[in-house]
Amino acid sequence: MGAVIGAERLTKTYRLDVTALAGVSFSARPGEFVAVLGPSGAGKTTLFRCLTGLTRPDAGAVVLDGRDICHMRRTELRAARRDIALIFQQFNLIRRLTAVQNVLAGRLASVPTWRVLSRRFARPDRQLALRCLDAVGLLDRAHARADQLSGGQQQRVAIARALAQEAKVILADEPVASLDPESAATVLDTLHRVAKAGVAVVASLHQVHLAMTYADRIVALRAGRVIADAPAASLDARAIEQIYAKNGEPAARSSPP
Amino acid sequence: MTPTAARDYPEPVVRSCSASRLRFVVILLLVAAFYSVSWKLAHVDLGKLATGLPRMASWARKAWPPATGELPVLLLRTAETVAMAAIGTTAAALLALPLCVITARNITPSRLLYYPGRWFLNALRGIDSFVFALLFVAAVGLGPFAGVLGIAFHTWGSTAKLWAEAIENIPPGPLEAAAATGASRLKVLAFALFPDVAPNMVSVGLFWWEFNVRASTVLGVVGAGGIGQELKNSMDLLDFPRLLTIIGLILIMVTVIDHGSQWLRRRLE
Repeated sequence: MGAVIGAERLTKTYRLDVTALAGVSFSARPGEFVAVLGPSGAGKTTLFRCLTGLTRPDAGAVVLDGRDICHMRRTELRAARRDIALIFQQFNLIRRLTAVQNVLAGRLASVPTWRVLSRRFARPDRQLALRCLDAVGLLDRAHARADQLSGGQQQRVAIARALAQEAKVILADEPVASLDPESAATVLDTLHRVAKAGVAVVASLHQVHLAMTYADRIVALRAGRVIADAPAASLDARAIEQIYAKNGEPAARSSPP
Repeated sequence: MTPTAARDYPEPVVRSCSASRLRFVVILLLVAAFYSVSWKLAHVDLGKLATGLPRMASWARKAWPPATGELPVLLLRTAETVAMAAIGTTAAALLALPLCVITARNITPSRLLYYPGRWFLNALRGIDSFVFALLFVAAVGLGPFAGVLGIAFHTWGSTAKLWAEAIENIPPGPLEAAAATGASRLKVLAFALFPDVAPNMVSVGLFWWEFNVRASTVLGVVGAGGIGQELKNSMDLLDFPRLLTIIGLILIMVTVIDHGSQWLRRRLE
């Protein structure tokens, strides 16, 4: 099956000649978990902002289902966003609403306005929300308030929200950066299972070993360029070293040859 | 364990006659000058207070026992005051709802609306409900309705400003997350913003109702109805037993409303 989302030669330079992206290309297929690795300043955040249409690249294209979202009008972009679900580092749940209500936020775009204003979602939507919570293993916490859940649980609610959106792509920018190792593993395991169900998952990560464990493919960024794009299983320690090397030299230089 | 002293660490030197000390003395002198001028301008005369206080004491003696003959009418007037405050505050809240969206920096639809909105609110807030009531008595005639309008206009500005500030303090993340699902602006505000600010907004509304109950006792003095009007009548006629009854009623009303509203606001937290 072909790619559902892809970047094609994305270039973005900020003022003061800071090059964030210098011709980045990669793509993700349905059912694939792609991890984006790279040191701070490699362009990961700019890449994610371009993929969601928040930042317009100087050149290149972001192709979602065969259509370039970089040159869409606002209404078109809003419609296209339904197919892309976002997961944030800080979860971004609505504190005072329950877990299942937060999952229902994923239905906002497809529900009539009066139902949102009166907070009366139809039974199929409510059932879908509960099913999504069940899928991330949080059915028993469905009616707990979001601010009473642990960080890992909140992130899984955010994943359930993405599922309820019935998006084809889940973009997760640093989804586990503020979680403890155990919660991080649970969250990534959930994302992995979601991907196996047919969604394309693109997540930026900081920890190499997590990317190796949970991702199908690793895209490594360095100074705005893709320096590696390979199945996780085929990457070895040396290739990884290259990603985080300082000044183009291997990071492990201090150790004896 | 305390580290052992290995060397002296440098500390900033404090001199006895420095520029900062001089500045402190100058500020002190300016404050003293401000108060002495204010004292003059306010015509403070402790001698007048000394002769006036015994007069008040004699009124207090004449006031006992309080007059109970007109209690039903006075109770009706008290209810009128509470009603004025309730209607005025509610009207203000409804009017404030669209305006607080316009004047909250983080969700305003346009800068072109934001600044005029803020100016308008500041104008409303700057004019006291007493002054508004005075104008409306002239426009719509004597009675509680003028009071309602006076309260509504001043509270409109104050409530919208406090609500806008509450909205500005909301973390932007959940709004972004809701907007990222492709939902329209109205849906995002109703679903992601409203539940977060609603308790705060209700709390602000109750505060203003409470405040307006106290404020509207004064509105009667300019002919805008309520218990304040009876207060002024009794004062003009030097009918002290009736005055005492009215003051007692006001105290009871204010206490009950304050406690009720505070209890409600605590429940919202």
